[in-house]
Amino acid sequence: MFMEVSTHKMLLLKNLQISFNDEQVLKGINLTVNKGDVVTLIGPSGTGKTTLLRCINYLEKPDDGEITLGDVHLDYKSIRKKDILKIRRKTAMVFQQYNLFKHKTVIENVMEAQMVVQKKSKKAAYEKSMEELEKVGLIDKINAYPSQLSGGQQQRVSIARALAVEPEVILFDEPTSALDPELVGEVLKVIEAVAKSGITIVLVTHEMSFAQNISTKVVFMDKGKIVEEGTPTEIFNQSSNERTREFLNQFYTRKN
Amino acid sequence: MDITFMLEILPQFLSVLPITLLIIVVSTICGFLLSVLVVAIRIKKVRLLNPIMGMYISFTRSTPILLQLFLIYYGLPVVLALMGIHINDMNPTTASIITLIIYNGAYMSEVVRPAYLAVERGQHEAADSLGFSPFKKLYRIIIPQVAPIALPGLGNAIIYLIHDTSLIFAIGVVDIMGLANIIISSNYGMNQIEIYLLIAIIYWIVSMLSEQMIKYLERRKQRLPYNGSTKEVA
Repeated sequence: MFMEVSTHKMLLLKNLQISFNDEQVLKGINLTVNKGDVVTLIGPSGTGKTTLLRCINYLEKPDDGEITLGDVHLDYKSIRKKDILKIRRKTAMVFQQYNLFKHKTVIENVMEAQMVVQKKSKKAAYEKSMEELEKVGLIDKINAYPSQLSGGQQQRVSIARALAVEPEVILFDEPTSALDPELVGEVLKVIEAVAKSGITIVLVTHEMSFAQNISTKVVFMDKGKIVEEGTPTEIFNQSSNERTREFLNQFYTRKN
Repeated sequence: MDITFMLEILPQFLSVLPITLLIIVVSTICGFLLSVLVVAIRIKKVRLLNPIMGMYISFTRSTPILLQLFLIYYGLPVVLALMGIHINDMNPTTASIITLIIYNGAYMSEVVRPAYLAVERGQHEAADSLGFSPFKKLYRIIIPQVAPIALPGLGNAIIYLIHDTSLIFAIGVVDIMGLANIIISSNYGMNQIEIYLLIAIIYWIVSMLSEQMIKYLERRKQRLPYNGSTKEVA
């Protein structure tokens, strides 16, 4: 049973390419993400990890390539406005800078897309929001504005906001990079719970031990290309690729 | 100081006040709409139109409005004649309204544009990533954040506009300022101070009222929409 579920393909990228000012940032990315996978993108800064993530929900416009997301298949060369919304409504993004709607309270932030995009009733949106806010432990903050919350709390709200629209894939873009060190833990704990709940995740992070713990698949990128991919053990412990090992050695010294 | 004289001529001024108010209201609304159009062109960097808007704003903000008033009143019929449209006599009120719309479109656009740009990129991206349509994003997320930033500046623009209307008597509009000059000259310059003081008070009241209106809008924007009603759905 579980095998069947886990081999169902959720997201497929084929030959994805993007350039900024004549500089090719992604040079033909092929990536397969199965349903329920937790895929972590790691690699040096400026490698295109975040760009790749942003391409998945079309915050960046790829020059070439194809994407299959659930039952939607698109060629980036012939994409239409309607297709963009289709893709975006199947994904949700958690940003490095949280990007909560500043003029709305915590509960409104979580309700907004459910009401405006999914056309849910206010009551249904409210109940779903309370459910998600309970999961991230912020039920006592529902009437606070983002500016009244700590970075960790804001990021937890933004995770609740992403979960509330029940996306098929949830994208995390360095969710703890902007946080004070003492607030990282609370956010990682929430992401871990999300990962365990079976939602498909693509995550960009510099928290290597966290990536090792929660990922089903680790993708090492360098200079706009995928260098290597595999299970956490394969990448973190058994990689024979020189660039992968060099990169990982900066982060931690292997025990034994 | 002749207070009874001031009270005597007050009804005359009140009878021309609607002209001033009409000019203010039409120029404010149309000027604002024009400014939104200008901002949209500049932000979308529409080819060809964008540099034209830059020139328009620069010219309008750098020349005296009195001069613009003359240019429109005397110049516009000439330009239109060249295009084959002949206007026999330009209505001074129309010319005033056109001038004030053009002036305010430029002035207000320089209030609206920075206010729009002050909303962080991340707010757009958050709405995009959740699948908001461009209209819904603008209406639900962006405008509510632009408005509180732009309102005080727009309020100032309206007050300047009210004061600028005092120049339109120069092309013969009989508004409150025009009427004041007519009364003064037919009165051989007597009671000049009373008349000017009276219309100063009228301008003051009109400005104050529009300021209060903007303040009311600002307060409304800051109201917290769900704070009471979450209890009701809970």
